[in-house]
Amino acid sequence: MLGWFTQYFAGSDSRRRITPGPGETYDINRKPPPFGHPLKHYFALDDKYVNLNHGSYGSIPLPVIYAANLLAYEIDSNPDIFNRVAYKPRLVKSREAVAKLIGAEADEVVLVPNATHALNTIMRNFEWREGDLIIGATTTYGAVSNTIRYLTDRSEQPRPSMLTIVYNFPLTHAEIIELFRAKIQEAKQQHADIQFTDVPPLSPGYDTDPAEKKNKIVAVIDSITSNPGVLLPWKEMCRIAREEGVWTVIDAAHSIGQEQSINLSETKPDFWLSNCHKWLFAKRGCAVLYAPKRNQNIMKSSIPTSHEYVSPNGSKYAEVGTNFVKQHEWTGTTDETPYITVPTAIAFREWLGGEEAIYDYCHKLAMDGARRMAEVMGTKVLDESGELVATMSNVYLPLPTEKTPGEIYSPEVLAKISGLMMNKLLFEYNTYAGHFFHNGAWVSRCSAQVFNDISDFEYVGKVFNVICQEVKDTILRGICEEQQQQSGPSILNSPVEDDWVILADIDVES
Amino acid sequence: MPTPKHTPGPGETYDPTQPPPPFGHALKQYFAFKNDYINLNHGSYGSLPLPVVWASSQLAYEIESCPDIFHRLQYFEKLNKSRELLAKFVHADTDEVVLVGNATAALNTVLRNFEWREGDVIVLASTTYASAANTTRYLADRSEQPRPTIYTIEYEFPLTHAQVVDLFRSKLREVKQLHSNIQFTDVPPASTGFVDDVTMKKNKILAIVDAITANPGVLMPWQEMVRVAREEGVWTLVDGAHSIGQEPNINLSQARPDFYLSNAHKWLMGKRGCALLYVPQRNQYMIKSSVPTADEYCSPGTKAYEKRGTGFVTQHEYLGGSDVTPFLVIPEVFAFRQWLGGEEAINGYCSKLAVEGGKRLAEVMKTQVLDESGELTLNMPNVQLPLPVEKTPGELYPPELRTKINLFLQSKLLYDWKTYAAHYYHNGGFWCRCSAQVFNEVSDFEYLGRAFNALCQEVEATFLKSK
Repeated sequence: MLGWFTQYFAGSDSRRRITPGPGETYDINRKPPPFGHPLKHYFALDDKYVNLNHGSYGSIPLPVIYAANLLAYEIDSNPDIFNRVAYKPRLVKSREAVAKLIGAEADEVVLVPNATHALNTIMRNFEWREGDLIIGATTTYGAVSNTIRYLTDRSEQPRPSMLTIVYNFPLTHAEIIELFRAKIQEAKQQHADIQFTDVPPLSPGYDTDPAEKKNKIVAVIDSITSNPGVLLPWKEMCRIAREEGVWTVIDAAHSIGQEQSINLSETKPDFWLSNCHKWLFAKRGCAVLYAPKRNQNIMKSSIPTSHEYVSPNGSKYAEVGTNFVKQHEWTGTTDETPYITVPTAIAFREWLGGEEAIYDYCHKLAMDGARRMAEVMGTKVLDESGELVATMSNVYLPLPTEKTPGEIYSPEVLAKISGLMMNKLLFEYNTYAGHFFHNGAWVSRCSAQVFNDISDFEYVGKVFNVICQEVKDTILRGICEEQQQQSGPSILNSPVEDDWVILADIDVES
Repeated sequence: MPTPKHTPGPGETYDPTQPPPPFGHALKQYFAFKNDYINLNHGSYGSLPLPVVWASSQLAYEIESCPDIFHRLQYFEKLNKSRELLAKFVHADTDEVVLVGNATAALNTVLRNFEWREGDVIVLASTTYASAANTTRYLADRSEQPRPTIYTIEYEFPLTHAQVVDLFRSKLREVKQLHSNIQFTDVPPASTGFVDDVTMKKNKILAIVDAITANPGVLMPWQEMVRVAREEGVWTLVDGAHSIGQEPNINLSQARPDFYLSNAHKWLMGKRGCALLYVPQRNQYMIKSSVPTADEYCSPGTKAYEKRGTGFVTQHEYLGGSDVTPFLVIPEVFAFRQWLGGEEAINGYCSKLAVEGGKRLAEVMKTQVLDESGELTLNMPNVQLPLPVEKTPGELYPPELRTKINLFLQSKLLYDWKTYAAHYYHNGGFWCRCSAQVFNEVSDFEYLGRAFNALCQEVEATFLKSK
């Protein structure tokens, strides 16, 4: 059937075909160019643009863009054949390819538009009760903590409550684990009257009888946070959560294509999600949602609900349960090219040298690049040890640090500085790296990709020197002088983590 | 890497100063269909004009040359331009319209934002689109309280608009009678008896009203139904998935539904992945969160909420990483349709063809059109297939057999005959729903009729022979 279909599309309408431009195809029998600037040839990034921010929106390689554009013609040569027949087997191929990369079975993996969507699918499928707890962190991604907040904001019962772990980096993995464990225990103590007997299937005390399940605790754990961009000891945190009877939802948005040795069958999180359109080079609009078979009964409905929804009150439920995979096959008309071109992205990475080779290059560059940038700016890297670094690294910017919140930087000033940095980086200096305020200090987050080399980090360091000087000369002028009179320059000191708390919902006027 | 310079292929550009080819097969050059494919099913998945495909692929390169500049700065202006054009098209304020991925997503946004209580009622129809009905089923399937109850109006076409309105009104009143112990005091702001005081609002009734149903593909008297619902204190969610680009003169400021949605990627010829969700200002307090919840969620009790309430428009600006090109090529879509002659000319041609083509198809198959009066037909005629009609459900066609027949027809039509129109079982018989588009002509309907004649004979000989 599939062969016939391929033949059908390889037919005579060559006038619809677009011929590939430079960088849009490659000869798999020839070696690729070396990592670094020669690989810019295969990306659509403007030649002069120094991109150290792959982590935010991804960078789609030209071969993937080309494959997607070609596929668009195929789909529209007969939308009915594609949507009714050809699409499903090709979706299976994509799911299988992704499942292989993360040590999961294909039937535990579905594709959704993005990580936020995946997270919402999970969190909105739990049936929340009064007394349930959700544990987030101050470093949880904005949309994710908003989702949790939305669930707790229901104007009347039932609704869960939210607890937030405060992570002020730099922290070691050991410190993070301690904070995590302490928060779970604190939660149980503070709510000693609640029976947290709705534990995950692998936890001690698990009971299949619904009547025995009272309340639950769900922890949303980043594998790699966004700001700062750091790798957390999420596998260990999973293990602790399991011991404590706490459900784990792993927000691994940055992980696939960046983090090595992901083996979900081994680590056994309750749910896991990641964006293929970040570090895996897929076209934007593709993320993976993993739900192991033991937990698929919780995933009652895709979002949006689809034709394949199965009611627990109907006869089909005994046969197929919640029908997790089929529910997510088709959730209304959409452009399927991001899902279908995932194998193209993976194949391209294979050609470049494979996941390990890519990681080795990017990780080393992230470490070396951050050090070089810190040298150029006269500052320090956030993480000397490298424990927190996969292929993103964080470097302090040459701006004053504050010991108490608001001492130097009010929310309006923070917003002004952010705005100035963004505009200058993009429009005057033709570059970008993430930048944010954390734990009293300004930090830059750099993404080391296959098309970067160390000169990019040097350039960005020099650019930040100029920009930060301008910030000090303009926005911080009065404040800066006052600071210097009081306590002397404190640019080079790392902040001490216990001093203050960063509130998650500072209302920054923009 | 400099952006690859592709040259547009045939049909991917047009000279707006030159008149377009006439409606009919001459326009096929602007669509991507394989030459021999006779497409009478535009209604299911839409058809992208080649100029829109081209514009999207070029936009993709532009985005990739600097994703940060694009997403952080340029995107919002372009998004607002598209929203403006679509809002104008349906006579709504720009700030009452947001874009989401498809009609199902829009519907889920509304349904999942209601805080359902025990005693609440959702009224559907037997013709409600499957995933819409499933969404309400999912809400009602919550394993414990609170959850709404579902009622379904039976529509067996053909029906006149007057009959539809009557059935609708009757159901709403029946629901209230059946639940006379429940106080349905949570009425929409536009209804009499609306109170601001939250403590006075007990239960509510929501009706999902199709503007144009899918199977059969018929135009419903939705504006009248909205008026009836408003009188009865019932919330209306109008599923207009098929409407924009097919239904003329959609005026939401006049019709005043509580919620309205439509796919830009169907009859408007947009790129797949774009639908509009309309929520009038008076109801925006109900939409607490986009689905998924995103960066701009406004929590009640915060300063941001004081300033902008739920922030309906900003909430929907960015729902996570995605391909935004479907949202952003709307101007190109409108420009192309304008060049073809504009909405009136397009729908004038298509609706006339729908009637002529439907009639011709019925002649070829020696059957009948569903809608003799014309009241139910815009661009999609429904015609009976030459298969026996059963008087009681299951007499001839048990459910598994219906599925078998439909799969058989689908496969043969697409692969052997290289044509397609949707086909379905309704009210004892099998019907097809054709879509008359700017690239179709009557001969397409004749061809389809020949195909169905042959295939239905085969169905009778194989699947139905034991009967």
